[in-house]
Amino acid sequence: MAKPSRNRIALLASTMLFGVLAAGPALAQSAVKIGCALPLSGGSATVGNQTRAGALAAAEQINAAGGIKALNGAKLEVVFGDTQSKADIGVTETERLVTRENVAALCGAFNSAVTFPATEVAERYKTPWVVVGSVKDEITERNFKYVFRINNKATYDAREQLDALDLLAKETGKKPKTIAMLYEGSDWGRSHAANVKRFAKDRGYDIVLDEAAPPNQVDFSNQLLKIRGARPDAVIVALYTPDHLLFSRQLMEQRLDLPFGIHSVGGGTEDPAFYKGLPQRAVDYVFVQEDWQIDKLQQTNDKTILAIAERTKEMLGYGMSAYAAQGASAMYVLADALERSGSTDREKLRDAIAASDIQSGPALITGYGRIKFDEQGQNTHAHGVISQNLNGQRRTIWPLENRGSETKPVWPVPAWSERKGS
Amino acid sequence: MDPLILSFAVVNGVLLGGIYGGVALGLSLIFGVLRVVNFAHGSFLMLSLYIAFWCWSLLGLDPYLSVFVTVPAMFGLGYFVQSVIISPLIRRERALVVEPLSALLLTAGVFLVLDNLALMAFGPNVRAVQVDYYLPSPMLGPIPLNPQRLIGALAAVLVALGLSWWLRHSHMGRAIRATAQNRDAAALSGINVPFVYAVTFGIGCAVLGLFGSLIAPFMPISPSIGVAFGIKSFIVVVLGGLGSIPGCIVGGMVIGVFEAVASQHITATSAAIGSLGLFILILLVRPQGIMGRA
Repeated sequence: MAKPSRNRIALLASTMLFGVLAAGPALAQSAVKIGCALPLSGGSATVGNQTRAGALAAAEQINAAGGIKALNGAKLEVVFGDTQSKADIGVTETERLVTRENVAALCGAFNSAVTFPATEVAERYKTPWVVVGSVKDEITERNFKYVFRINNKATYDAREQLDALDLLAKETGKKPKTIAMLYEGSDWGRSHAANVKRFAKDRGYDIVLDEAAPPNQVDFSNQLLKIRGARPDAVIVALYTPDHLLFSRQLMEQRLDLPFGIHSVGGGTEDPAFYKGLPQRAVDYVFVQEDWQIDKLQQTNDKTILAIAERTKEMLGYGMSAYAAQGASAMYVLADALERSGSTDREKLRDAIAASDIQSGPALITGYGRIKFDEQGQNTHAHGVISQNLNGQRRTIWPLENRGSETKPVWPVPAWSERKGS
Repeated sequence: MDPLILSFAVVNGVLLGGIYGGVALGLSLIFGVLRVVNFAHGSFLMLSLYIAFWCWSLLGLDPYLSVFVTVPAMFGLGYFVQSVIISPLIRRERALVVEPLSALLLTAGVFLVLDNLALMAFGPNVRAVQVDYYLPSPMLGPIPLNPQRLIGALAAVLVALGLSWWLRHSHMGRAIRATAQNRDAAALSGINVPFVYAVTFGIGCAVLGLFGSLIAPFMPISPSIGVAFGIKSFIVVVLGGLGSIPGCIVGGMVIGVFEAVASQHITATSAAIGSLGLFILILLVRPQGIMGRA
């Protein structure tokens, strides 16, 4: 009997040891590690650092409010990995966060090209990943179990632009009939144009001009002349900052009238540098598809959201952006799941995230009405907003629920000759 | 096709093409004299754009007045690059002509260093000059001419004429042309060849300084802006004839009009491919270019 009993003691001892180890973090209020793979250097560095600031601000806030209560007040500890905006680095950083840092969950990585392979690593290690910023459709179309996306996918962007046209048409009875498209000729612009074309056909809009432009143009006279010749009611634009700047400036110089305006899908028009480089009359009445509700801070009185905005501004030196908001939102979604799972076990945490149904609170800082994932991990309630540049500010005009009571969209937009000071 | 739209396209093409030609002048001059293909051409333009921008944003200097800063500054930079970086290479060469490959690689290195230094120093943000006055658009019949581009195109023609005249009639100009014809013979006749080279490189860059100031009012500036102009300049110079000053302006306008008219029928992307096709065709059929001597 000596043998088995020794075995039993050993078993008992090891069970206790494991028990202590497992319970240890909760008892000692030790931290829950969240790994964020973000482009902190390289081409998308500004975006990555904005997301980082948002995530840190939210984590600080959650910790100050007593941490994760279901884990005896355990604090959130955000560990960052720098993807350098590159896919291969993103993959190795993800491996490091999972295996070395032993994080409970992951978030990241803005660049679709990085997120796409990095989430494959997370799936393999059965570690939940909350996607921040990436819009590539296929990220949540692979039947993965551990990948969740709070924000839009690319097809939503195109649909929303036409939704806004439809909404304004319904409100005023004035509907544009013809649309011209001008977009940058690489992955983002082309896929957006293809999506727009698909939706436009169903909704009775005529695409009269379909023009791709390679990035870094030195002149848009030729394209503007084509738009002049095609006489569209509205133009849908997908260009990055330098090209968008040049296009907008030349459009203003040529005083090209578009009765239902310019509808930009972001890119240049979401970049603060864009507005610094142009006089206000060049951007007046331009519609912008935003990744978050740009005038949220003017419209909300939620103290936690305003505090996050304040803290990120302190860290970055400039105001809140869509990316800071998305970082903060991801932390609140994870905190919510941790409260419900009551465990840092990746499997349990994954199930809790999958069961998320958030309808209020700071997780909705980006302006969504609800966060609830479908079986592919896509938040089907995600939406951007469409804003219009009115008196030097971008004000939300779509969806109607997010439009401020004092915001009056200008539709159709006035001709250049009717505008003041031009 | 609508004749009004067509004439619009031709006018746009001539104005833009003139600017292309003006920007390419320095490249053509430097090649004509030094036989060095300056790969860093676009980067020098990028630097002059930044100088014009900083003059405007820090000193409040109008971009057109910043000419008085950009031209001497770029002349100095060009003189320095030639005498410190490229000249040792030429001194090492025993043959009549600098080995084009090594000079090409050297200037390609200068291009990489300059563009990346600019990225480090200025960041990837796009900047743009905003002037608060409004230049009226002169009308050509029913067609309004963009005043800033008109100034650029006119300046290109004037600079080309002035440069040709100066090369023909001044002592220094004759020394430059002599050096271009035969380096060793020029040296034997008492011409200070390294000095001529440095001055030529400096003039090439000074012309870029001028155009940096002239296009700054309408061109968004980023560290990668040089590449787009650099490639256009190569096409223009080959089309017009390597080393030919008037050929540069003619080549620029041909490319400008070709792209403007073609892009009314096909996408502008395909039109740009067309001009590269034209580039290859010229190299095959008439390698000396439109105005070049065989």
